[in-house]
Amino acid sequence: MDFGFTAENDAFRGEVRHFIDDNITPDVQAELKQSRLQGPGPFTKELLLKLGEHGWIGMSWPKEYGGQERDLIDQYIFEEEFVRARVPLDLNNILEQAPAIMRAGTEEQKTYFLPRLVKGEVTFALGYSEPSGGTDLASLKTRAEVDGDEYVINGQKMFTSGAHHSTHLYLMARTDPELPKHKGISIFLVPMDAPGISVRPLWTLSGGRTNEVFLENVRVPKDAMLGEENDGWYVGASALNLGRAGARRYYTYISAFENIVHFIKEQRATGLDLAADPAIQDKLAELYSEAQVCRLFTLRSLSMVRRGINPPYEISSEKVWGPDFHVKSTEIITQILGPYAQLWEGSEFTPNEGEFAKQYVGAMVSTFAHGSVQVMRDAIARRGLGLPRG
Amino acid sequence: MDVLLDEYEEMLKSTAREFFERECPPDLVRRMEADELGHSVEMWRQIAALGWLGFALPQAYGGEAAPLEQVGLLLEEMGRALAPLPFLSTIAPALTLAEAGTEAQCQAILPRVGRGELLLTWAVMERDPRCTPDTIHTEAVRDGEDYVISGSKLFVDQFHSADRCLVACRTGQDISLLLLHTDRAGIASTLLPTLSGEKQSEVVFDRVRVPAANVIGEAGQGWPIVERMLERATALLCAQIVGATRKAVDMAVDYAKWRVAFGRPIGAFQSIQHMCADMVTWVDGASLLTYEALWKLSQGLPASVEVAAAKSFCNERCQAALRHANQIHGGVAQIKEFDLNLWYRRAAAWTMRLGRTFEHRAKIAQALELSSSAPSA
Repeated sequence: MDFGFTAENDAFRGEVRHFIDDNITPDVQAELKQSRLQGPGPFTKELLLKLGEHGWIGMSWPKEYGGQERDLIDQYIFEEEFVRARVPLDLNNILEQAPAIMRAGTEEQKTYFLPRLVKGEVTFALGYSEPSGGTDLASLKTRAEVDGDEYVINGQKMFTSGAHHSTHLYLMARTDPELPKHKGISIFLVPMDAPGISVRPLWTLSGGRTNEVFLENVRVPKDAMLGEENDGWYVGASALNLGRAGARRYYTYISAFENIVHFIKEQRATGLDLAADPAIQDKLAELYSEAQVCRLFTLRSLSMVRRGINPPYEISSEKVWGPDFHVKSTEIITQILGPYAQLWEGSEFTPNEGEFAKQYVGAMVSTFAHGSVQVMRDAIARRGLGLPRG
Repeated sequence: MDVLLDEYEEMLKSTAREFFERECPPDLVRRMEADELGHSVEMWRQIAALGWLGFALPQAYGGEAAPLEQVGLLLEEMGRALAPLPFLSTIAPALTLAEAGTEAQCQAILPRVGRGELLLTWAVMERDPRCTPDTIHTEAVRDGEDYVISGSKLFVDQFHSADRCLVACRTGQDISLLLLHTDRAGIASTLLPTLSGEKQSEVVFDRVRVPAANVIGEAGQGWPIVERMLERATALLCAQIVGATRKAVDMAVDYAKWRVAFGRPIGAFQSIQHMCADMVTWVDGASLLTYEALWKLSQGLPASVEVAAAKSFCNERCQAALRHANQIHGGVAQIKEFDLNLWYRRAAAWTMRLGRTFEHRAKIAQALELSSSAPSA
């Protein structure tokens, strides 16, 4: 066991910090904040180019697809520094959909999508969940039927974040309703401007936007399919699995905790002693230990993947512990801040520009996005411990 | 960075597991609870022969200078098997001697510890379970070439069988650590009726004479040495708790696979599955925190926050995992002749030793600099 980082790791961390100091100006930061609502703007695209020049996008990918085949630890360090500096750069597409295209795509798809993804010229919205099912994803109803050289797609997607500014939909649709539910699904890379697609906004409690996407007789050529027909569950599932681990996620879960500790110290300097009560100190120390478990679970998954092990249940553990911690910590924060915790951005009394109110109502998303914590517990019990299906 | 065990560590762990599975059946554990000595002399001889007693000791004294996390792996397996051995109580003071003792003190004791000829222990806590310097009232007064110790200590682990004991005493304003032969005149000890059946004693010192040459480190400078000993012992105890709790979890998961109720194995019910998933997540978390604390200690890095995080987490989550293991077993969990309670009682009792959750968290809170009014840990 080795819980330390090498001198090279530390040097790389320094390099990333330096890059952030030099390049994430207030203008860039402001645009990035808006990008979840509006999509990548000019600063974001320039930033992606610079990251590309450093070889930091897809740095652990194979060289033949423009990667550097760097150690996954570098990827971890890079992500950790970006999230800790609160740079809201969304690399999810690049880190999750690109590997799926690398694995399952045709040469044409690889040459078209991969370079454009890393430059931010192509962005995907995930067309997975539907009104009738999200957690039970495999029972999805959206249909893709062959018609000559094309597929015709009909159905509705739900919680399709970024659909209003993405160039493509990374769509799961049923291509064979006769097959068992996991077997009849395919993945399509559908341009958002294809006729028949319409998008309706759904506004979230924490001030974000997600969408419903309606697909009505949307026609795509056969080569819009990623991977083999009816094999989409496995193409998609592998992408989802990668999305469950990584520094980005663990930090999402613990950032509210780190920030409240920081906030309390800042306030102390101005004479407000928010944690004077030993009961509050005890709670924060409890959260501290539990936050370390979030970090260590991520390091464990990372260690396994680096050794070429496909973690049988450990990523699911991350995805139970982290979200539960996120909810618990944000609830405790409301009781530390009291009435201040309810304040949105816009008052001189609002802590951290409304971060804590946003995180409080936003934390619930952690426990159901990318698979609910209940489904993750099922996976730990069945895949990890070999307990029988009910 | 690779938080998994390396090949050598895996081998060490599986060697230890095989040894204890073979040599330490639950029946032996049960017998030792009623035994006057409370530990298996034969097994002690065996682990000395395997080199595990000298494993962590410096090479100069016949040891192998193994890093602390590897000692932790041994303790994890001893915890898993509930091996009735005075290992932790001996090894923690031995490592303290190796670190802070004089050449003569080390030479006189450590090679014999490695050969299994000497049992050690430590006596720090008195009535107040906080175990801070101000809670130590046992006094050592200088008299010529000796110190004279008077006072009493509580919960002294394995004192009844120990040959030497490190005793934390007040010398004036400060704390000194003294090495004591347990057969000195003026020592009286009484065994305490413990939940785990393990041997702990109240030890009363009535004008016990100890040569001044037996001070560990400098007189009056003992507290940092004690603190470090307790820190190391705490991290090692966590490994023991993790090992025992993991075994209880394994037993509960196995039980859930074959125990049938309402026409199916109870492990097919989601409510039981989710309890199992949580148990394994908690023990995994406890294990990672413990490994990180041990690793930091063995690297010589500051680790008091890591140790405090590991112990407070073990206290809370391993108890919760044990509670789940009991609940999954239902009625038999309370029956003495059913084995599960052996693990439950010990792992739970270990969470009560070496720092309550609140002290450990106070230490973390202090390190986080949360408040100007942080109480001292």
